[in-house]
Amino acid sequence: MLPERPWRTAASLARDGAGLPDWPAEWRASALARLDEAGMPDGSDEEWRYTSLTAWGQRWSDYLAAAGQPAAITLPAVPSMQPGSVARPAAIHVQVVNGALLTQTGATPPGLFVGSLRQLPPELRGRAAELLGKSAGLPPEQLVDLNSALVSDVILIGTDAGTSFDGLPVHIHLQGSGSPAFSHPRILVDVARSSRLTLTIEHSGADGMLANAVTQAWIGHGAHLDLVRVQSLPDDGMLTDTSHIDLAAAASARITSVDLGGLLSRQSMTVVLAGAGSSATVDGLFLADDRRHIDNRTLLEHRAPGTTSRESFRGLADGHGRGIFNGKIIVMPGAEGSNAALSNRNLLLAATAEIDTKPELEIYVDDVKCSHGATTGQLDANALFYLRSRGLDPAAARQVLTAAFLREALGHIALPELRERLEARLQEKLGGGVRHP
Amino acid sequence: MNSPLLQVAGLRVAVGGKEILTGLDLTVRAGEVHAIMGPNGSGKSTLAHVLAGREGYEVTGGSASYRGQDLLAMAPEERARAGIFLGFQYPIEIPGVSNVYLLRSALNARRAARGESEIDAAGFLRLVRDKARLMQMDESFLQRGVNEGFSGGEKKRNEIFQMAVLEPTLAILDETDSGLDIDALKVVANGVNSLRSAERSFVLVTHYQRLLDYIRPDFVHVLAGGRIIRTGDRTLALELEAGGYDQVLAAAAS
Ligand SMILES: Nc1ncnc2c1ncn2[C@@H]1O[C@H](COP(=O)(O)OP(=O)(O)O)[C@@H](O)[C@H]1O
Ligand SMILES: [Mg+2]
Repeated sequence: MLPERPWRTAASLARDGAGLPDWPAEWRASALARLDEAGMPDGSDEEWRYTSLTAWGQRWSDYLAAAGQPAAITLPAVPSMQPGSVARPAAIHVQVVNGALLTQTGATPPGLFVGSLRQLPPELRGRAAELLGKSAGLPPEQLVDLNSALVSDVILIGTDAGTSFDGLPVHIHLQGSGSPAFSHPRILVDVARSSRLTLTIEHSGADGMLANAVTQAWIGHGAHLDLVRVQSLPDDGMLTDTSHIDLAAAASARITSVDLGGLLSRQSMTVVLAGAGSSATVDGLFLADDRRHIDNRTLLEHRAPGTTSRESFRGLADGHGRGIFNGKIIVMPGAEGSNAALSNRNLLLAATAEIDTKPELEIYVDDVKCSHGATTGQLDANALFYLRSRGLDPAAARQVLTAAFLREALGHIALPELRERLEARLQEKLGGGVRHP
Repeated sequence: MNSPLLQVAGLRVAVGGKEILTGLDLTVRAGEVHAIMGPNGSGKSTLAHVLAGREGYEVTGGSASYRGQDLLAMAPEERARAGIFLGFQYPIEIPGVSNVYLLRSALNARRAARGESEIDAAGFLRLVRDKARLMQMDESFLQRGVNEGFSGGEKKRNEIFQMAVLEPTLAILDETDSGLDIDALKVVANGVNSLRSAERSFVLVTHYQRLLDYIRPDFVHVLAGGRIIRTGDRTLALELEAGGYDQVLAAAAS
């Protein structure tokens, strides 16, 4: 059982925060105070209707009970950490273990900052403090506050106005060690006016891990962010992952979210189209096979005129897995002339699996074009027969159709190697030795 | 006399409790081209589907053997690997699975069944390029999803392209000619004719005799009421063209 106010116990145990600059102390204290006030969400909360935090709380309590003992750190290898030459790196890799920056490879060129709050140049501190301060009140509040209160590091990625780093992707590898560990990775992304950034965030770790990640991103006037989020936790890993992405006028974001692993994974993604003419595309894929519970909540908020969003999630549930998609579009007063399209398509491959999907539209202006829809079905019998009539055995035919269905969600990933790696992983997970050419 | 490649005897097939084929006989020997003609709803596609192994059909009587083997006991993929090819009346769109991927998987499935190794990349590429040229298909079609966004005519052409690559022993082509303009019809007929050989047989299911101007059949059968009611040479097709099915049906009934 969790102690009363477990965040207090955790905060008193956490020595990890040591070494952070003084100024986040107040911010952390206020998050703790809000937690004292609000407590943890319980089953009566609509937000948590589909995902119970019981198992999550149990793992947290195991962690608190074991805290103070040295954790045996076992971690998967960080994939493709080839930084290229020092002068012209092909990519920047940042390895974050249990919430703290451990290694960084690839030199950052002028105009790009990638690093820990501990290394932050003084001239950037004001901006970082301002952005962190904005997290108070962001939903889901308790998880964001828990992260703020217990954070042991903050990873920052920032660009200068007018710069472009399309050819230099930044890969953040968030890893949780097991045995057990509860980590609170925190990422701040600041894409300045008229600049461009390509970023990937991958969640992984060792069995027994539990992580509560928060990412805040600001995309300035006319700027662009390409973001790929990959959840590839070990089979018993648990993750709550919150992201808030805020777009200024004429800014754009292209986001792909991929959930492939874990026992319990709950994502809350909020995209705010705050500036006129801003646009976002969000693609998602989740593979709730085995005993996985994967819950995706997304909110797209149109707050300014002429904003555009297109969101498409593809999901699969098999075995005893459960996939949840809860996607909401809100078109606020003032967002005239906006366009929004939301779709969720799912494959339900076993009677013991479950899919819950709930696309929602909330529109407060007349002059908008919105569409939303969701389907859950099985593989098409005609397509299966077609493939078998060409000589594919039933298992191969099912695997080919399943992979093709899910692969559509990866089509907007700008980095070819990443897309291919994810396609291969997908193929592997679907049990096929058949590789797509 | 060589033993038949395909022998269908007294075949009865029901769909959803309704009997569609009511005792059908058909014998196809190696190298022969058979045309099966008949009015809409007479059971032509049902026959083609049952021979290819599609689920949802209940065989209530009779038999079908292929190279002396019980065809009806074989799974669809086993039939395909044994050399049977069905050209669909309504080819299926499969987004996300490219034409070349399907063909490579299909070829390798056949090779694996024969204990052969996978086809090498260069040989495969040469093969599909040659056959695409034969079917006057742009190479860009190879990388596209199977039939994805293809026009009706392109889908039919793609079926024959697949057949050309897979080189079946028995090709059953279900109304491959319908919906084709005259140029496309010639391309399709040319594809079929180029594959004709002493070892390969064809069953052409068609509603119109037009196709038979370009592919000369050895036999023409009239399928009506779930049975073959008349068999003749290609002049029977011309008779059907001139008099319509009604006349032939009436003659058969009397
Ligand atoms: N799945 C099905 N369920 C019920 N009836 C069917 C089904 N498929 C075909 N039929 C019926 O079987 C008969 C023969 O159909 P089909 O073989 O498609 O004819 P053809 O190809 O000669 O036009 C028709 O009356 C058709 O309505
Ligand atoms: Mg038909």
